[in-house]
Amino acid sequence: MSETASSEAFPALMPELAALIIEALNLDITPAGIAPDARLYGEGLGLDSIDMLEIALVVSKRYGFQLRSESDDNTRIFASLRSLADYIAEHRTQ
Amino acid sequence: MTKPANSAHDSAHDWTHIRERGNLPILRLMVWISLTLGRTLGRVVLFGIALYFVLFAPAAQKSSRDYLRRALGRPPNWRDRYRHVLSFASTIHDRIYLLNDRFDLFEIQVEGAEELDRVLARDTGVLLFGAHLGSFELLRAVGCRGAGHQVAMMMYEDNARKLNATLTSINPRATQEVIPLGQIESMLNARDKLDQGYVVGMLADRASGPTQRHSVDFLGAPAAFPLGPFRMAAILRRPVFFMAGLYLGGNRYRIHFAPLADFTQVERSERDAAIRSAVSRYAGLLETHCHAAPYNWFNFFDFWATT
Repeated sequence: MSETASSEAFPALMPELAALIIEALNLDITPAGIAPDARLYGEGLGLDSIDMLEIALVVSKRYGFQLRSESDDNTRIFASLRSLADYIAEHRTQ
Repeated sequence: MTKPANSAHDSAHDWTHIRERGNLPILRLMVWISLTLGRTLGRVVLFGIALYFVLFAPAAQKSSRDYLRRALGRPPNWRDRYRHVLSFASTIHDRIYLLNDRFDLFEIQVEGAEELDRVLARDTGVLLFGAHLGSFELLRAVGCRGAGHQVAMMMYEDNARKLNATLTSINPRATQEVIPLGQIESMLNARDKLDQGYVVGMLADRASGPTQRHSVDFLGAPAAFPLGPFRMAAILRRPVFFMAGLYLGGNRYRIHFAPLADFTQVERSERDAAIRSAVSRYAGLLETHCHAAPYNWFNFFDFWATT
């Protein structure tokens, strides 16, 4: 799997996604404040599962694909800004 | 936003843990006694157990007294405290019969189901918020007899494992569909179930771990209620109903349903205000029922400690 290659194909994606998350959750930080590899859930950025739901919904809306609960990969997908951006790069339809 | 005082929860947990300890051999014995000798004789054992806890569980007794003083509007006497514990023990004991579909043993009234039925008839997923107030088991029981709506309960996985072990030891055919909380995909899971038209239930008066809270007046003093359940309902834009299965003594129960909030039309900008007003209404409904049936409050820790 060429995960790094996929988000590198969209260099603007990570800051854009960070901004999207900050806006959706009303966080008091700048997009640069979310380190690409910091954990989003739990310690790290300190988000809870309701925040993750909010992120999943805005990501679905913005990039035109569904994040499903049955996916075994959710822990990996939502691990960090980078992993989420990689996943979006692979699956986006818009 | 305040941090929950987990220590307050932990310290008073000594006897609320009897139902959670998961001591299956003893549980099986009690189930056997209750099913073989019947509810009347089973309850004789229960009277003794309740008495034991009134005498020998000081931490739980302190929170029981504090709560009863607020709900009754007077200092509770020995009888009140005994009835409080006995109600709790009775609802646990009666689960054995409810799980075995022995509805014939009980007089169960239902109030306020019309509005819920009306919303369910639209074939849309609905959230049902209960509390540690009375018997939530009645929901499952009524759900089984009802119009065939599928019910899933959201709960922490550890509790879920114990619950399912308990259920199958009581009635091998009984299982509870559970959406485990505390995982990244918990909420995605709830969304999918609601999309499939499920009734998704949860107890919305407690949260585990650090969580956003909102303080509202409850029985005469501010109490910090967790915001999580309401935030979820708002994000998913679902109707929410309140549910309580109150134990009224003897073999009588009364189930109350009430519309709690409808987030289906709530836009993002109005969300926070709508969440806060839903929490206030939830606390108001709890308060009404605590006054009407005071021995049903089963949060045996200082509920007001988090403010």
